[in-house]
Amino acid sequence: MPTIRPGRIAVHIALILYLALAIGPIVLILINAFKTRRAIFADPLGLPNSQTFTAIGFDRVFANSDFGLYFLNSLTVTVVSLGLIILIGAMAAWALTEYRFRGNTILSLYLAIGIMVPIRLGSVSILRMMVDLNLVNTLTALILVYVAQGLPLAILILGEFIQQIPKDLRDAARCDGVSEYRIFGSIILPLIRPAIATVAVFTMVPIWNDLWFPLILAPGAGKQTVTLGVQQFIGQYVTDWNAVLASLTLAIAPILVLYLLFSRYLVRGLTAGAVK
Amino acid sequence: MADVSLHGIAKSFGPVEILHDIDLRVNDGEFVVFVGPSGCGKSTLLRIIAGLETVSAGEIRIGGRRVNEMPPADRKIAMVFQSYALYPHMSVYKNMAFGLKFAKTNKAEVDRRVRQAAEILKLSHLLDRKPRELSGGQRQRVAIGRAIVREPSVFLFDEPLSNLDAALRVNTRLEIAKLHRELGATMIYVTHDQIEAMTLASKIVVLNHGRIEQVGAPLDLYHAPQNLFVAGFIGSPRMNFIKGQVRSVDERGALIAFAGTEALVQEAHGRLAKGDEITLGIRPEHMASEGPQTIPLEGEIDAVERLGEASFVYMKLTGGDDVIVRSSGDIDASPGERFAAHVPVGALHVFDASGQAVQIQSRVAARSTS
Amino acid sequence: MSDIAATNVQAGSVPERSRFPLHIAVFLAPALIIYTIFSIYPLVDTIRLSLYAGDETGARHFVGLGNFVTLLTDPAWSGQFWNALGNNLIFFAIHMVVQNGIGLGLAMLLSLPRLTGGSIYRTLLFLPTMLSVVIIGFIWQLILNPLWGIAPTLLKAVGLGSLFGPWLGQESTALVTVSLISVWQFVGIPMMLIYAALINIPDDLMDAATVDGAGPFSVFWFVRLPLILPTLGVVSILTFVANFNAFDLIYAVKGALAGPNFSTDILGTFFYRTFFGYQLQVGSPTMGAAVATAMLIVILLGVLIYLFGVQRRLQRHTF
Repeated sequence: MPTIRPGRIAVHIALILYLALAIGPIVLILINAFKTRRAIFADPLGLPNSQTFTAIGFDRVFANSDFGLYFLNSLTVTVVSLGLIILIGAMAAWALTEYRFRGNTILSLYLAIGIMVPIRLGSVSILRMMVDLNLVNTLTALILVYVAQGLPLAILILGEFIQQIPKDLRDAARCDGVSEYRIFGSIILPLIRPAIATVAVFTMVPIWNDLWFPLILAPGAGKQTVTLGVQQFIGQYVTDWNAVLASLTLAIAPILVLYLLFSRYLVRGLTAGAVK
Repeated sequence: MADVSLHGIAKSFGPVEILHDIDLRVNDGEFVVFVGPSGCGKSTLLRIIAGLETVSAGEIRIGGRRVNEMPPADRKIAMVFQSYALYPHMSVYKNMAFGLKFAKTNKAEVDRRVRQAAEILKLSHLLDRKPRELSGGQRQRVAIGRAIVREPSVFLFDEPLSNLDAALRVNTRLEIAKLHRELGATMIYVTHDQIEAMTLASKIVVLNHGRIEQVGAPLDLYHAPQNLFVAGFIGSPRMNFIKGQVRSVDERGALIAFAGTEALVQEAHGRLAKGDEITLGIRPEHMASEGPQTIPLEGEIDAVERLGEASFVYMKLTGGDDVIVRSSGDIDASPGERFAAHVPVGALHVFDASGQAVQIQSRVAARSTS
Repeated sequence: MSDIAATNVQAGSVPERSRFPLHIAVFLAPALIIYTIFSIYPLVDTIRLSLYAGDETGARHFVGLGNFVTLLTDPAWSGQFWNALGNNLIFFAIHMVVQNGIGLGLAMLLSLPRLTGGSIYRTLLFLPTMLSVVIIGFIWQLILNPLWGIAPTLLKAVGLGSLFGPWLGQESTALVTVSLISVWQFVGIPMMLIYAALINIPDDLMDAATVDGAGPFSVFWFVRLPLILPTLGVVSILTFVANFNAFDLIYAVKGALAGPNFSTDILGTFFYRTFFGYQLQVGSPTMGAAVATAMLIVILLGVLIYLFGVQRRLQRHTF
């Protein structure tokens, strides 16, 4: 379009201003986590230098909490949940998109309930059930709930993806006498790999970041996730700014690194029109 | 009145220059077709005239006025897009009336123009429909209607028929030609289809790699292509090219050897010299008939395609060149057989080593060297 | 479709209609079992539980809609319930206007043709959305903390120093502040969804409108906006469900008591307190179930209004 240049500069100024607002606070936490208490208050906007640098906050976090364990817990819960959601979700999505059978539509609608209705509202019963099953304070409880929570959306996304796989591929396999299980295992599963990034955005991030279910299902020592661990730690050490900033940094860092590494896929997944 | 003239138009996207120094004049009431392979810059040139792209250099004039800085809406143009670009949320009526809203046209006038355009395009019964309820051909007509109601001086068409099926394409082509006769407006039409170009244009502009290869009336391009590109682009099946060499040049003319035979030609400007590598061009449809002024070309048949009214014989000449011969529908020929194609000397085109046509005054039949 | 072939292959000699094809059942079973047991059953059981009351001994008896009557009329409950619901509506309204407004604005800027650095902007602007609500809550708590003084310093720098106050601590400003923190975090979601919708509109349409004489504002108002309305509908209902289900941020920033004086209390925190108890009040699973059911009703109402009132009117456009 004609005469766009001056407008473009204004656009960049607006975007950069908002960008400062969006990531400024995060940067602020990261740089102050490495400064002495005095420097945190005297010069909050400055970068750490040789005089102000300290890692004392991190030392205290590691001394007073089991951060490595929290991290491992979060990782276990997230990875296992995601793996199950993708495998089980793909199986169901395949069945619902590939075969026409009685009750197909009803089942699809039944599964769609979970997209709009938050499973959180069933917490009272979930807790009772986990008590009965002796699963309170186990990571298993979290994984089961997260799988149930993540399945509906995963099935929707994977279903749309599976529909785009050419029908000829499956029909060719059928003509060769390949069983339905083998078709799923050796044709469909490998082909849905690109959809995993999309499913991951919508399921993995909420699981990793969740506070509610760790709080009510597995709040006990040794089973906390990072989110809950940080929440409890900060509650205890509110006044120790070094420790608080360090614990926040530790909670942010892994996500930050992963996000910046994989953001291309995540952003692509989000904008690929997965949510229609 | 609206003639369109382009002076030294250049366009770059970043470091990539896609149009180089285009000069062109489109007279009032002319139907000009930009034709060329995809990526040749023809759509960009159209969008530059529309005002949807800026130029890196050069001047655009419409009706004598410089319009470089003028927004599209003020240029008295209307454009029909390849995708039709109908507003999906508006009815046919609103689609056509949309542009008039910004031209501050009064309601009665808008209504009159929309209904008149709908009448011309046989859309009157569809005015309340949404685009998605229309067939491809109907959408196409709405897109044209949207252009008509603006009563532009210049119509711009960007490959308007490429989304239609073959039968509809022929019909719509005829309708566009009729529209041009009735409205008498200047029309500029972009296509990659040479048949559309030949049938619609009063003037064809052949573009390649961002340059104009040749401008001329359809039959001029067919009979006198100025270079190899135009020769190969206009005509179907494309012109056969046969490698040749200038044997000698003297007062009788230049003696050219090709495909195991020779021909003597007299050129206008004396550009050929002994030893020059040249290319001879001969259209498949000119190759069949045996006659007094013909040169026989011998070779072996690779394949025969029978279309009913004609047959295409694919053959490999003695010299190794592959050529297509358009022959009669019931020709007795089959792959593997020897075959002689007859080339009327008058139909030979000669191109020099740089691909430019060499103008020939007269051609004389030659003897076979074999 | 091709399942006919599939059924035939599987059925073999067995008459087709007599049996549900085994492989379909095998594919569906794991998802259906886990989803039913840990998602649907708890929701249904919660609704059932909301119709019971427990006494000191732990025995439960059926009370019909008694819990809901208590919730809506008993002074000990109704004040808190209506307060939480009202706050939640404000929380939602702020998200609709500010979050989705900014999201729309950013999406429009990002969708400009040939924008330099577009993907970098998108990536970084979406970053806060990826982080845990809890972490975000703490970050802002620190930044707004008058002790640290970052916020007042920055405000002074732009000449607005006098505006600063302990926003998170004052009853009058706490809810708006918490809402804006949440807006700050989640702006990325409407931004991305609307951006995706905008870049899906073919350029030809905008070009056609330009040729038709529409200026940038008219192109937006008459062409782009109508075409992204369905996406705005989706964004609205996602915002609604997320907001009426929110808990983490307020719990992290203000604790279960959602202070000061319950001014930041929303249905999520109210549910938590009812269920687990706080201070002197003992937690009640059955009242908790009643609150959860009430939330379920609110969310279902929203979803139904969206499905039958909004979505049907918004024609989806394929290009």
